[in-house]
Amino acid sequence: MVMFLMVLSLSVFGVALMSIAFAAATRDERPPVEAKPAKQLVAQVSPPQFFVNDVAMPQPRVPLEVLLLQIERHIRLEQAAAESFVAYPTAASLHSRTTSPLVH
Amino acid sequence: MATTQPDLLRGLPDDEAARVMALGTRVSLPSGSELFRLGAAADCVYVVERGRIALTLPIQVGGRDEDVLVEERVVGQTVGWSGLIPPHRFTLRATAPLETEVIALPRAALLEFFAAHPAAGYLVTRNLAGVVGQRLQVFQAMWLREVQRVVALRSS
Repeated sequence: MVMFLMVLSLSVFGVALMSIAFAAATRDERPPVEAKPAKQLVAQVSPPQFFVNDVAMPQPRVPLEVLLLQIERHIRLEQAAAESFVAYPTAASLHSRTTSPLVH
Repeated sequence: MATTQPDLLRGLPDDEAARVMALGTRVSLPSGSELFRLGAAADCVYVVERGRIALTLPIQVGGRDEDVLVEERVVGQTVGWSGLIPPHRFTLRATAPLETEVIALPRAALLEFFAAHPAAGYLVTRNLAGVVGQRLQVFQAMWLREVQRVVALRSS
């Protein structure tokens, strides 16, 4: 009986040892998921560089003075179109096309 | 000096038009100066005698208010009809883009004159309705054109 228990415990110990060794040998080598945002963060804060396509580049902004001139031109064109409609009211003149850069 | 009768006084006999204009005071505006600001109490109506008046409204651009030209008034045209129409608050800002002169006609003096001369009051009121009506129709059409664009954007 003692002999039997001894063999059984040794077998169980051996199986556990083999399981640990197998798990260590087949462990996933991929980096943890948490590493990805850190990489993105570095990409966002780093300055724009040539030949780097995956960095989000800011859109070129229209200068304020140019934008105000475009708004003013848009209003003038729209006012002219509206006055034309008021003088000769038709559906076509109400919805006539504009050359305003704000619309196109 | 305006060579033709101001649009506000169109149809009045010359002597009566001169009497109405005599109720006002001449205001000289250096280039870039402000005639009235948006929301201010409107106690006068103005007739442009020389130069030009720019009417602007604030539009938020880049997080701050910028005055954008909405209309311009030239010699002989009326500015600030809010002076005669309740609630007597200016709904635009008026500035002089160049050296300009206007005749400021106080509401109290005009109403007193119209009470004494109802025919003149009727003609001026009719002319004023023309100015207001024109503004309404033009802005209504402008608004509808913008709505049409919103509809086109939504359905595309």
